Amino acid sequence: MPLRRTFITGIGVVSPHGDNLDEVFDRVFAGESSVRKVPIEANGSRCDMLLSPVDFEPGHLIPKMSGRFMARATKMAVVAAHHALEASGLLVSGAGPAEAGIYLGCGLGGSDELQAHYERFLADPPRRLRAASTPMIMASGPASHISMQYGITGPTMTYSIACVSSAVAIGEAFRAIRHGYLDTALAGGTEAQLNAGALAGWRELSVLASEHTTGAEASSRPFDAQRTGLVLGEGSIILVLESEDAARARGAEPLAEIVGYGVSSDAYNLTEPSSDGQTRAMRLALEDASVAGERIGYVNAHATGTLLGDRVEAEAIRNTFGSHADKLAVSSTKSVHGHLIGAASALETALTVRMLQTGRIAPTANLTDPDPECDLDCVPLVGREAPGLEYALTNSFAFGGSNATLVLRKVLAS
Amino acid sequence: MTPYMFLAQVLSEKYDVDPDTISPEATLTELGLDSLTIVELLFDVEDEFGIEIPEERATFQTLAEAAALVDELVQAKGG
Repeated sequence: MPLRRTFITGIGVVSPHGDNLDEVFDRVFAGESSVRKVPIEANGSRCDMLLSPVDFEPGHLIPKMSGRFMARATKMAVVAAHHALEASGLLVSGAGPAEAGIYLGCGLGGSDELQAHYERFLADPPRRLRAASTPMIMASGPASHISMQYGITGPTMTYSIACVSSAVAIGEAFRAIRHGYLDTALAGGTEAQLNAGALAGWRELSVLASEHTTGAEASSRPFDAQRTGLVLGEGSIILVLESEDAARARGAEPLAEIVGYGVSSDAYNLTEPSSDGQTRAMRLALEDASVAGERIGYVNAHATGTLLGDRVEAEAIRNTFGSHADKLAVSSTKSVHGHLIGAASALETALTVRMLQTGRIAPTANLTDPDPECDLDCVPLVGREAPGLEYALTNSFAFGGSNATLVLRKVLAS
Repeated sequence: MTPYMFLAQVLSEKYDVDPDTISPEATLTELGLDSLTIVELLFDVEDEFGIEIPEERATFQTLAEAAALVDELVQAKGG
């Protein structure tokens, strides 16, 4: 069977910048940050943390009965799936395409519910754990609820691979369609772990940013010499992927094409990245796409704003592209939306789709003092017009040494 | 609030059960609750009345039977 082309025909977002993708992209392109100080309470004390939260209200999109069994990450995913199906034109009387598959990334599952249930159980005196706690906490809960709510009966897959979760979910859905296993898939990620327990763990890792002197919103600073770490965010972003035949048969308007996917492991260190593994993911993705590196115009970097992570990625981009690295535009949109962990790649893929559609490259915000060790064109501060942009990469790299890269292509007028 | 009133209120407010279908004779299954949801409902009841419903006593079918069990457990607790 010949390989089939795979198009993105709808995108749904529940993001720190809102749930309208056009508006989200405009704000990201303008370098408008969603990072702010959020009070977090634990053990009777309260502290402000730099976060990129979602102002989330599912409203009528989640029935009360089923909502009782959904963690925050699940609710966000169910709403993002609704938006994605609606945008693609595949939502009919509240149901999605029955034969579709669901490919979702999620890092920590129902982290908020885990904390709430265990707090109760470990309290003095202890209380019984809710019967619903286990199915609410499980990382596959979001995909399961999407399947139930929209009547989708194909494979329901969840990939929990830290920060590459949703890149792998999209990549695996792409492969399933490309090789003829599926015609349609919902693919993306969800993450909601901005609760005291999860945040305490992150803080001890010493990877979180401190507040920049110019304000909270300027604290996520990938590629900048004044960077101090990453800012955690939350949200859910889901894409509708369809085979070319399926999309054309119903006259769907493709937003962009996925043409390549590369995935690799460092086999090196739990938290420290390796440029070799990252380079391999990018090369495999280009090879998969049968596209020469010279044709890539933009890389949406994983760059989270940690010194080691940014520098290793810059080195990997150089290793992958050679002299073409000097002609590449590279930006980290995490500078404005923070790091959504299991949903990060999906958000960055969605933004890259908008960049290909509009020919406008979003900047790396807050990049006022470039790190000389990241010697790339990181599109500092101001977005850029790039009408000829045809191919773009999105990079995602994770704790545990997992790396995933997607290659996207603009849909050219036929 | 009596156990029955509480059950009726929670079912309509938190579980989207149509208030017109709620009656003492209605079974929880008839009202659209699956097994996991019934256990969740009992959790709400336990929290509200400060009781623990032993698993072997959770054999009721109708709302009236459920309310009677809660009444009995509240009395036994000294409430």
